[in-house]
Amino acid sequence: MIPTLFRRQKDRAPFLYPGAEIGALPGDRPRQPARVQLSVEGQAKAAVEVGRNRLAITAAMFAIAFCVIAGRLVDLMALNGGEAAARAAQAGPVAEAVVHRADIVDRNGVVLATNLPTAHLYADAQAVLDPDEAARRLLDVLPDLDYATTRKRLASGRRFIYLRRHLTPTQQDAVLRLGLPGLEFEPAERRVYPQGHLAAHVLGATDVDNRGIAGIERAFHDRLNADMRPVRLSLDVRVQHAVRDVLAEAVDRFSAIAGVGLVMDVKTGELLAMVSLPDYAPEAYGHAPADARFNRATLGVYEMGSTFKLLNTALGMEVGGFRPTDGFDATKPLRMAGFTINDYHAEARWLTVAEILVHSSNIGSAQMALKVGGPAQKAFLDRLGLLSPLSIELPEAGAPLYPEPWRPINTVTISYGHGVAVTPVHLANAIAPLVNGGEYRPATLLRQDPDAPPPGRRVLAPATAQAMRGLMRMVVTEGTGGKADVPGYLVGGKTGTAEKSGDGGYRRKALMPSFVAAFPMDNPRYVVLAMLDEPQGIKETHGFATAGWNAAPTVGAIIARVAPILGVRPRGPAPDPTTEVRLATAAGGGTGGRDRAPQ
Amino acid sequence: MIGDGLMTSRMRRGEMTLGEKLWQMSWSLILLIGALTGIGVIMLYSAANGSMDPWASRHIMRFGVGLVLLVVIAMIDIRQWMRYAYWLYALAFVLLVAVEVKGTIGMGAQRWIDLGVVQLQPSELMKVTLVLALARFFHGADLQDVGRPLFLIVPALLALAPVALVLKQPDLGTALMLLAGGGVLFFAAGVRLWLFGLVVVAGLGTIPVAWQFLHDYQKNRVLTFINPERDPLGAGYHILQSKIALGSGGLTGKGFLQGTQSHLNFLPEKQTDFIFVMLAEEFGMLAGMGLLFLYVLVLAYGLAIALRARNHFGRLVAIGMIVTFFLYVFINIAMVMGLIPVVGVPLPFVSYGGTAMLTLMIAFGLLMSVWVHRDVQIGRRGAYDDG
Repeated sequence: MIPTLFRRQKDRAPFLYPGAEIGALPGDRPRQPARVQLSVEGQAKAAVEVGRNRLAITAAMFAIAFCVIAGRLVDLMALNGGEAAARAAQAGPVAEAVVHRADIVDRNGVVLATNLPTAHLYADAQAVLDPDEAARRLLDVLPDLDYATTRKRLASGRRFIYLRRHLTPTQQDAVLRLGLPGLEFEPAERRVYPQGHLAAHVLGATDVDNRGIAGIERAFHDRLNADMRPVRLSLDVRVQHAVRDVLAEAVDRFSAIAGVGLVMDVKTGELLAMVSLPDYAPEAYGHAPADARFNRATLGVYEMGSTFKLLNTALGMEVGGFRPTDGFDATKPLRMAGFTINDYHAEARWLTVAEILVHSSNIGSAQMALKVGGPAQKAFLDRLGLLSPLSIELPEAGAPLYPEPWRPINTVTISYGHGVAVTPVHLANAIAPLVNGGEYRPATLLRQDPDAPPPGRRVLAPATAQAMRGLMRMVVTEGTGGKADVPGYLVGGKTGTAEKSGDGGYRRKALMPSFVAAFPMDNPRYVVLAMLDEPQGIKETHGFATAGWNAAPTVGAIIARVAPILGVRPRGPAPDPTTEVRLATAAGGGTGGRDRAPQ
Repeated sequence: MIGDGLMTSRMRRGEMTLGEKLWQMSWSLILLIGALTGIGVIMLYSAANGSMDPWASRHIMRFGVGLVLLVVIAMIDIRQWMRYAYWLYALAFVLLVAVEVKGTIGMGAQRWIDLGVVQLQPSELMKVTLVLALARFFHGADLQDVGRPLFLIVPALLALAPVALVLKQPDLGTALMLLAGGGVLFFAAGVRLWLFGLVVVAGLGTIPVAWQFLHDYQKNRVLTFINPERDPLGAGYHILQSKIALGSGGLTGKGFLQGTQSHLNFLPEKQTDFIFVMLAEEFGMLAGMGLLFLYVLVLAYGLAIALRARNHFGRLVAIGMIVTFFLYVFINIAMVMGLIPVVGVPLPFVSYGGTAMLTLMIAFGLLMSVWVHRDVQIGRRGAYDDG
């Protein structure tokens, strides 16, 4: 192709280097007598020479640069490049070493925790000939040792004293090659976590002696050391990665202090992903700040705010016998025991049960709860596991906080999620029966047999659970949860924006927005929850920091990423489970509510 | 021969009709650019998991708009470009100052001016206008002039002032590109080699001082470059994932839409800065080599145009444009393979992004203008004083 660039020129005139035309112009033959002085011509020639040389040098630099790039490409992609990461990706799985603590794997067998064989270096000080020389030569191969300490140990005369723990095979080889008498090795192994931070709060950590000190490592310490078969978790690394990725982005974007994200299978109680940010590198657990080591998903208890209205609605329908179309008075704020209950999005009219949920009315929720009564409310929450310590395989299991005695004002505040503090896993666990047909199964981190799911405990009538599906979908299609919707996956859920308590009251500016969702709502299979700690309003959210603006889109982003991985097929545009509820609302409203034409 | 002679002398004076100019354009170079964009479209289709939206379709649209811009720029007489070189530079400079004063804050750095329809990035504009201004300056200079250090104060200020502004934004990558692009023009204009040596020594001397002024994230990138395993899950994460993707691609790749690193989002910014890695993962090393070859071809065209231009201004502009192009390609590919620290520079014509596409189309429009007006003679003093 390049020759065509020149061809036209070649037909017309001989090729000239840049600037050469000043000396001899092709169209000027026969040449005019030189009008320029000889010295100027010489100078012009020099300029041409320099220009040409420099262009050539530039071209040569381009060529060198491209050779370097091409070489590196071959190196990385074909010759394995001496790069551990690239090499490992090409080599695939490697042979397993003989170890004494079982691996931890995800539901598909991807290794989350395993062991590397190492060696502890110790000295038999009585066999050491010259401590000075031995210490000096040892420092040549292990420069991180301290000379004075090492020398002292080598001269201690003890038969067994550690010099350094966890040598790599290369270091061990180097020490062996020193040929020093009195240096001995003790075989050891070191716990490694190939996925790094990914499942830190689930896995926990081990100490320098490979004893589990947190998480699954601690809960299954004896089992891991007794039985070499891997412990198979319910987590799916692909889902876990997606959840952590999306959540980290949200925490970063909204400058939140922390975040929690989880995905739960409502048919089995398995947690497919559970993330608490900030987290830590399990190998460096001891160096991580306490804040990063705190598992907010299972140990932290929080007032969850309006997401509790889902439970309150289910309570009203299940125990109170209300239908979605029954009306409650939300015309004016509710005064009780010196408190005034307001609505965030005040409609100031009678609302149906469905509208109370969709508009997230505190007043309406309180009216419903008061009608059902405190004892029934307490019993219902207890049935959903919200008043007992979290039942999960981790040692980091939080116990809920709830009022004792349970006064009417508590009934009111709890109806919209204040006054009871639970862990995020508690909440997801309690939402599952609302969408799975009414069966409660404790959340688990261990993989369950898909053919024989654990037996569930019936806590809701199937009819209530069926109605809840439609209501949850309505919150997303018509209410505060719009930004959680993902086309085709029929997301349903509820926003909740709790004010953090502190200094003897609630802090209006310190919010904990959360969103709990299920999908696909025509046959819900997964509950997804996201919670952010003190996110800030940003330009794109017009300064709002409530759940509809941050937690809801986070859940939407999670669902968009994990649904294809989980094999959920997108649905076509129709039919939509809210239709049934909407028809009922429009027909039986009778409360001055807005008109909705039946479709 | 007579006709040829007439044509040549007319071309020398730049008297060409629009039709002749269109005929003179190097359409094969445009075909080459189109092929690169085509590769971009294929990869963007894959990056969106097999969908034209949101990236591939807009990429095609931008290419179309850019192509029209390219042709228009190429049609404009090179002497007009020379005449307005300083003005264009001044305009870009004013915009650059404007960003400093009241720019939209994006990604933590002030780089854009929001024009409503598009977001203008004056530092990108500066890449082109700096070349124009320096080329105009050196056009009127002979070897003796450029041999005098005092003579070089003005062009040095022309180059360093925008560099300082861009550094302040802060955008280290663009600042370095401006510096390198300007430096090559000095080199091509014949500035003495010992002066370059002096500047390099002085530059090395200021590194410890400059280090103090770097932002934490910039320090982090440099440190991570020196030792990528320093923080494998933090700052070194991107490069590590990039290398895993490359390593798993092998000779012939995993197949279209089959790259796990990219489709499961382990690979960051796969539609922009890391698109080369995605190509290499899905189509293998051979495809990566093929793309490199296409870039080499484009560079060869550019060098040939620079070599062939009869006027000094055009030659310098051509060199400046291909160096800018080269820097895009080199910095991007070297970055994703871990040869240099992570700098946000897109891959020309392949990466998604309107600003880079615009800059490149302007740059290639000017390169094409140099080619179309290759025989035009320009006197030492100015644009139209018929030399």
